[in-house]
Order: sequence, then structure tokens, then C-alpha cells
Amino acid sequence: MPETILNKIGMYEKLKILSDAAKYDVSCTSSGVDRNGDGKGMGNCRAAGICHSFSADGRCISLLKILFTNECIFDCKYCINRSSNDVVRTSFTPEEVCTLTMEFYRRNYIEGLFLSSGVLRSPNYTMELIYAALYRLRKVCNFQGYIHVKAIPGADPELIKRVGFLADRMSVNMELPTAESLRLLAPHKTRKSILTPMRLVQNRMEENKEELAVYRNAPKFVPAGQSTQMIIGATPESDYQILNVAESLYRKFDLKRVFYSAFVAVNEDTLLPQKTSDGPPLLREHRLYQADWLLRFYKFKAEELLDEKNPNFNLYLDPKCNWALKHLEMFPVEVNRADYEVLLRVPGIGVKSAQRIVKARRMGILDFSDLKKMGVVLKRALYFITCGGRMMYRTKIEEDYITRNLLNTKERLPDSVRGMTYRQLSLFDDVDWGSDNENNLSL
Amino acid sequence: MKTIYLCEDSVTGMLSAIYDAWMESRDKEAGIGLKECLEQQLFCEYKEVEVSERKAGAVVRLIRKYLGDETYRDFYQALLSEDPEKADAVFRVMQSARSVKDSRKIMEHLSDPAVEKVFSLSRQVGNEAHRFLEFVRFRELKNGVLFSEIVPKNRILSCIADHFSDRFPLENWMICDKRHNECVIHRVRYHWVLVKDREWDQEIRERFSESEKEFARLWTGFFDSISIPERENRMCQMNHLPLRYRAEMTEFQGKPVFEKSS
Repeated sequence: MPETILNKIGMYEKLKILSDAAKYDVSCTSSGVDRNGDGKGMGNCRAAGICHSFSADGRCISLLKILFTNECIFDCKYCINRSSNDVVRTSFTPEEVCTLTMEFYRRNYIEGLFLSSGVLRSPNYTMELIYAALYRLRKVCNFQGYIHVKAIPGADPELIKRVGFLADRMSVNMELPTAESLRLLAPHKTRKSILTPMRLVQNRMEENKEELAVYRNAPKFVPAGQSTQMIIGATPESDYQILNVAESLYRKFDLKRVFYSAFVAVNEDTLLPQKTSDGPPLLREHRLYQADWLLRFYKFKAEELLDEKNPNFNLYLDPKCNWALKHLEMFPVEVNRADYEVLLRVPGIGVKSAQRIVKARRMGILDFSDLKKMGVVLKRALYFITCGGRMMYRTKIEEDYITRNLLNTKERLPDSVRGMTYRQLSLFDDVDWGSDNENNLSL
Repeated sequence: MKTIYLCEDSVTGMLSAIYDAWMESRDKEAGIGLKECLEQQLFCEYKEVEVSERKAGAVVRLIRKYLGDETYRDFYQALLSEDPEKADAVFRVMQSARSVKDSRKIMEHLSDPAVEKVFSLSRQVGNEAHRFLEFVRFRELKNGVLFSEIVPKNRILSCIADHFSDRFPLENWMICDKRHNECVIHRVRYHWVLVKDREWDQEIRERFSESEKEFARLWTGFFDSISIPERENRMCQMNHLPLRYRAEMTEFQGKPVFEKSS
């Protein structure tokens, strides 16, 4: 394959190419670590993270998201930088990465750096270049802002550990939910080569906790934890499979976040779904994020939300409503008495409003107008709650009836999926990926 | 007869008026009004209150001691808003706080209309301040100073100055609020200061450094290439980043105000 390796192109072109190649990585959060500046350099971090801009696709721009190089010896079918693609190849130097990060940061464009990379020569060689860039940024430039870095699967554990002491967050991408899909689409990666560095980072973080307990000023290892991402819709896995993988990642690998990335067809390949005019499966991605939220903050389990018989989310109803409709025997609950955990399970009551309710009901008995002020979405909650023993209106507690009404109230979909036509909805609702796929979830 | 204490629209001014109102009429019906936007009412006595650092300081200590630091933060943020009844609402919350069991929890009594008002004003100001942590853009002047202009609805400069001081301790920087004609200035190794109603040499802000243009170009290039065309969604972008912020932001310079979805 003819490849053009350009070393002498200008900075502007280079940045264009290497950010364009990095944009399919979803994660752009700068959260998870709270750190004041030490007064001797530049930068600080806020636990909630700070977005600095929003690109034309409505996604937040928080970090300078770039690849160190888009040269790659791997040939992952879905990736724009796969070795068999004929694209312009280029690399940054560690100095260039530092200059860009520092100058962007001081103009308040960004919250820090997100450094990923293609695999140049070998995983170790690439990891060393990344280490050189981060070392310079932290120790020479005294940068104290946020750094998110990718661990390259297959790199030496010692290198990964050293990089981890310079970064705030590390991530290794799962890429695809099952080992089988991985074998098909990412022939140079295996389940093992991905999970090994993940486990390594997890174990080192555990050790670091003890070090910090003994000595408060011990260097911190990946203080904002690790994350990963999976591509949705490139392979036939069901939502149930995907959610189970996510759940085990949270439980067994102690991940901070799992990101889902609706598959965007950038390559033509017989192994990939054909390009269609429908665009990426954004609504499906949205439902997975909602379910992910339920796992992390609402104490749900994957098997409560889906099962072998219903392996995919209802695209018309959010996962929480869907769950509640299947468990009507639990409802209605009395807002003035129900446990916090029970309130969390009511559609229309979120974490914040549940906390407010628990606080406010100590001061007095709540009625529906109070709930409204606290941010409860009554048009959804009204079928599932009572205030002082009374429901808001006379309603039947019956699955069909409530479903019909909930569908009529029209869920406020996020802008990221709004504007999709009914036709698109019904199209990928019909897609049946064959749920009796062999179960490959031996995480 | 109801007494209304009149003061100027500055935090110190309003706190001074609250001091007088508290000393004289905390048990009576009383109110606080802003000189700049006053609607005269019948059967009211008006008293003008001079700005006094001493009085303001005393009120701040009173609030912190009896209502807590969190409440003070809410009061402070509410007083920075554009609402003409802000000081009056704060005073009424202080009055209400006398009749509750734990005065430090006064801000949890959202069913009290004054508390609700202060709460929502504080939240508005806090939210806007947070937006400007995100959207402030500095440009480097020839002398190395980082310069930024913003047009916020509320006087949020003092809410964001600590953040940037901690972030850029070794930089000289300034952020100017064009609407309220205020400016926060940070010199290396000094605490930031808030400067009001100063005439600025208009030319200073046009003298950018050599490299400024290049980094602005690089950033704009990055901003454009990081978006995924298949997912383009201008509505979503607009909701997160409303048009009114864009005029001062580097990445939107020279672009049409509203680009239609393709």
C-alpha cells in the first residue's frame, strides 16, 4: 500500500490531521480530580470537569484531543488509521505536543490534554514517545492541568506504570463487546491484550491508595481512574450483552466510565455493516448511556433492565420507564415515606430530586406542587407516586394504559438524537441482530 | 409606616443598607431599594444609606456567624444579580431566619418566598459564572498580558477571579466586563483586584502579540476538525453554547452567527 509520510508539513496541517483522526474517541471529560495549582506552574483541576467549547456536532470540547501519530501497524477494520488505508501520515514531536497544550491552556481554550496514538513501530516505542511528551509537559513546563492518556495494548507494564504517574486518567479501549467481534474486526488486538493493561492499572491504583494512606504526599497514580469505550452497531451484539460487559467492567475492573460510541462508517469493508443514509445509531447509543447511568447512580443491575428474551432496549421508552412498567406491583409509592432507594426507581425522579425530597420531608409533608419545585418530572412520575396517600389524578395502574400515556407525553430527547425522523427510528428498531449469539462474556 | 432603605447597587452599598435596616427595623416591616431603579410607593418612608465598609463588614460577620458560610455565598451571589429586589429578598431571608429552629439551614426552607427568590438568584449567578469559567478566551497582547472581554448578564467577575488566579499564577491577565464596565486584573505575585468605571485605551486591546494570530488559527482549525460530520447537530451545539457568548470567543470569529444544518 502506498503511504505518504509527511514530516515537513506545517503545524496547522498536522494538527488538522491528528485531531481529525482522534475525533472518534468519545471521552472528553476532564473530571474526577480536584487539584489546586502549586503556584509554580500553570493549571489546576476541578472534580466536576469543565467544558470549554462545543463543536458543530454538539459534543463538548474539554481537552486537546489528538493522536501522537496516525501511523499504525495495526489493521482494525473500523478505524480510519488502519494500516491498509491510504491516508496522509504524520506525527507530533513531544515538544510540539507541549507547546500546543501550554499555549491553548493559557488562553483558556482547553482543560488539558487527551493524548491517544496509532501504533508506531511497536507498542513499546509508541508508549515511550507518549511518556516523553507527558514527562516534558509535567516536569519541564510544570503543567498541572488535566491529562488523559491511552495505554497502548501490548506495551511493557513498566512503561504503562511510569506513564500512569504523570496522567490523571488512563484508558484502554474495549473497542468491541465480545472476543469474537474483536477477532474479526481488530485482528491485532485480543481480549487479553486489552484487559491486561486495564488490570495492571487497576492493581497499581489499589497499591497507590495504600501508599497515599501511609504518606499523604506520595505521587498519585491515575487519580481520576480509568475509562474505556465500546463501538455500538458495528457488530451484532445485543444491548443486553453490551450492558453486561459494562457492568462487569465497573464491578471487576473498577472503571470510572464506560463510553459508547455509535458506529460511524469511515471504511468500506465486507466485515462492517454497509454504509447507509441513516447515519450512526444515535438513539441506541443514548439508551445505552441512560442504562449506564442507571447502573452507576440508581443501583440497578443489568439483568433487571434486560434479559435473554428482551435483549434490546425499547427505543421509544427510556430504560427506567421500561423497567417500572414491568414492575407495576411495586407502585405507587408514598413520597413522604418511601426509602431513598425506592424513590430513585420512580420514573421522573432523579438523584437530585430524590435527595431533595428526603431532606425536605423532614420539615413537613410534601404535596405535588412541592415536588414540582424540586425538579420532579410529574408528567412521568404521576403514575407511580402518591402524596399523603393520594395520587395526583385518578389513573389506572395498568401497563398498557400507562405506556400509552407516557408515549403521548413525548419524552424530551436530548438534542443529540433529536431531529431524527420516524422512519429512521423504525428502521433500526427492526434490525434483529439475532440474539442467540453465543455468549462471550467471560470477563 | 414601612421604612425603605435606599442604597447604591454595589455589594458593599447593599450590605450597608442591610446593616441599617437590621439595626433599626429588624422586627418591623422594612425593605431595601436600589437608588438606580426605584419605583416610589405610597405610605413609605425612604432613608438613604451611605456606602460604609465598616457596616458591610459587620453584616458579613453576622451572616457568617449565624447563617453559615454557605448561606453567605448564596447571599453574595444573589447580590451580584441584575434583579432590582435582590437586596430586599436577602433582608427578608435574614428576618425569616430568626424564626426557624436552625438558622444555618435557612436556605433549605424553599417554601419561604424570599428564600426561594435568593436561592434562584444565587443559582442564576452561579450558573453564569460557571459558564464563563468555560467560555472566557484570553488573547495575548504584545507585552505578554493575557486579555479577555466578556459581556455577562450579572456581575460575575469576582466569582471567577479566584479560579483564574489559581490557574495562572505566573501570568499577568485581565478580564473586562464590557456591560458593567468592570475589570479584574491579576499581576504576577499579587492578589487580583477589581477595577470599576475606568476609561480604557481602546488601542491596547488591538495590539496582539506576533504569535497570537497563529495560535488562534490553530485553535480554530482544531475546533472545526474535531467535529464528526455524520453527527452534526447545530441545535445541540446552540443549547450548550448559546449565541450570546460567541461574539467574544476565538473559535467563532469570522464565522456566520448561525450556521444552518446541512
